[in-house]
Amino acid sequence: MDNKTKTLNIISKLSGKPADQLVPADELVADLGIDSPKALQLLVELEDALGIEISDDDAARMDTVGDILAQVAA
Amino acid sequence: MARAFPDPPATLVAALARAARFFPERGIAMLDSRGRTLERRSYPEILAAAEHGAGRWATLGVRPGERILVCLPTSWAMLDAWLGAMLAGALPVAVAPGASMGGGEAQRRKIEQLVASLDARFVVAGARFARDATARDTPRTAAVALAMEALDRTRAGRVQAPAARGDDVAFLQLTSGSTGTARAVMIRHRAAIHNALASDQAIGAPYGVAIHQRAEAMVSWLPLNHDMGLVGCLFLSIICGLDLWLLPPAAFLARPRLWLEHLGRHGTTFAPAPNFGYQLCVERLAETALDGIDLSAWHDAMTGAEMVRPETVDAFCDRFAHRGFRPQAFRPCFGLAEGTLAVTFDQAGRGMRTRPLPAGADPALGLSEVVCLGTPIEATEVRIVGPAGQPLPGGEIGEVRARGPSIFAGYWNDPEATAESLVDDWLATGDLGFLDTEGELYLTGRNKDVLIVRGRNIMPHELEWLAESVTGGGGAMRSGAFSVARGAQGEEAVLVVETQERDPARRDAMARAIRVGVGRQLSLPLADLVFVRRGRIPKTTSGKVQRRQLRAMYLERTLERLV
Repeated sequence: MDNKTKTLNIISKLSGKPADQLVPADELVADLGIDSPKALQLLVELEDALGIEISDDDAARMDTVGDILAQVAA
Repeated sequence: MARAFPDPPATLVAALARAARFFPERGIAMLDSRGRTLERRSYPEILAAAEHGAGRWATLGVRPGERILVCLPTSWAMLDAWLGAMLAGALPVAVAPGASMGGGEAQRRKIEQLVASLDARFVVAGARFARDATARDTPRTAAVALAMEALDRTRAGRVQAPAARGDDVAFLQLTSGSTGTARAVMIRHRAAIHNALASDQAIGAPYGVAIHQRAEAMVSWLPLNHDMGLVGCLFLSIICGLDLWLLPPAAFLARPRLWLEHLGRHGTTFAPAPNFGYQLCVERLAETALDGIDLSAWHDAMTGAEMVRPETVDAFCDRFAHRGFRPQAFRPCFGLAEGTLAVTFDQAGRGMRTRPLPAGADPALGLSEVVCLGTPIEATEVRIVGPAGQPLPGGEIGEVRARGPSIFAGYWNDPEATAESLVDDWLATGDLGFLDTEGELYLTGRNKDVLIVRGRNIMPHELEWLAESVTGGGGAMRSGAFSVARGAQGEEAVLVVETQERDPARRDAMARAIRVGVGRQLSLPLADLVFVRRGRIPKTTSGKVQRRQLRAMYLERTLERLV
């Protein structure tokens, strides 16, 4: 499974929106309901699944699905 | 094993020295985001570092009474700066560092407002904050912004502060206050000492001894800018001579299991948390993922700081019963920053006790039962009053008031707000409830406008400001934010916005812009966003939005929603 698929699966699990319906413009909070606690869970799961570390600065710039994909699955 | 307990300290400064002298083998461990020990320091080491911190503030010319904002995450850097400021005779003010994803702008604005309203001498934060303050052309903030790294490089000079006395204000605690604007609560040394010692007694009450004679450690993930974290964990550990394990809040939110693992590892433990923390453990730890968790040594689980929800307590007890957690460990309590922290504790030690929701209770909190929050701590009285401040008989719902040695000295530089909250020595808490025939307290709601969503206090004007910046409102066209709750999830945010816009497609676009703004700036999903015609939001004659009335109309469905 490539990084993009893994990433979308994790976002889907946390938001309840099917992975194939996620679009880059989806806002993490406003559209997907990923509030602060869920955002932290998301970061942790991405780090674990993709074997990467996401800095606080990078996390601060992630507002949409597209932002995440650009950072972790490019 | 009974340990000789030294005489109570008169001040928090004395408490640090006393811990170093009488509990030299105890101390505080900072844990990292995976729950591993980053650095543990004994109380003697903590005292030495705090004195060094005070020396640095002295070199920077800090004078007694000056306000030092400390805006750093849970870390030794944060504690050295905060404790150092106190030892230098200044007034430390812990400020929450920002949320993890998005939303830097709202945070920066908040700090700018605090720098101005508290006339801060310094705000110590990460290096980026200091750079941004200069770049943003906010000269007042830029002048006092100090990067943590710069503070770290400052040589420690000689501290010339006068010796602290019990009556002196020791620090300022930020709180939302009753109208949702940030206020700085003044806490005297003697109030902080009283609250810690009285809590020591109250938590130990079911066992007939102070808790320091039974427990060895506390494990906390609570932020140190929050009263439950600062007073309830840090000061309590220092004054009782306990070990303290500090998890960064983000580590708990990302991996709640870390808190539970540590609660089983350090001898007899106790820990407080808001309902939201227990709820997160239930949601995130499935039955199948509990290996390695042993909660039999966790003897007291205080729950307070927000409404205790029976569904959460029941679910937590069910989930962790096979892991050694006893339902009697739950100790509901009530407190607030203006009371230093604790006002009442359940002192029966029989677990959560509830009563059915009485008539006249606020339906917005979605409760069907109310939880017993126990009896007042030592030397403290609690009473219930009506709208005119008249004491009410047992069983009747009214505002909770408290009086005693832990009550605050007022809001810093705000005599009007102080006069509203301190009425003849009685603290008007803004919380609503009743006392039963045994004198035990139950909360049914609150008079305050603050939203408490997933453990965070959010001020309504933060949401309203964002909405009005999208709609071009303000002035005649206002918005109102409030929270409503349904079950174990707790409160969710609702925003009602006045608009003249007649085109539904344009309103949809506005709604989206508001949701995105609130999402990005405050990391907050909106449970509902309602448009109404201009003038439909109830306001006072002076134009202030009446949020409680607005919420009542929302719940009764008498708001004419534009669709």
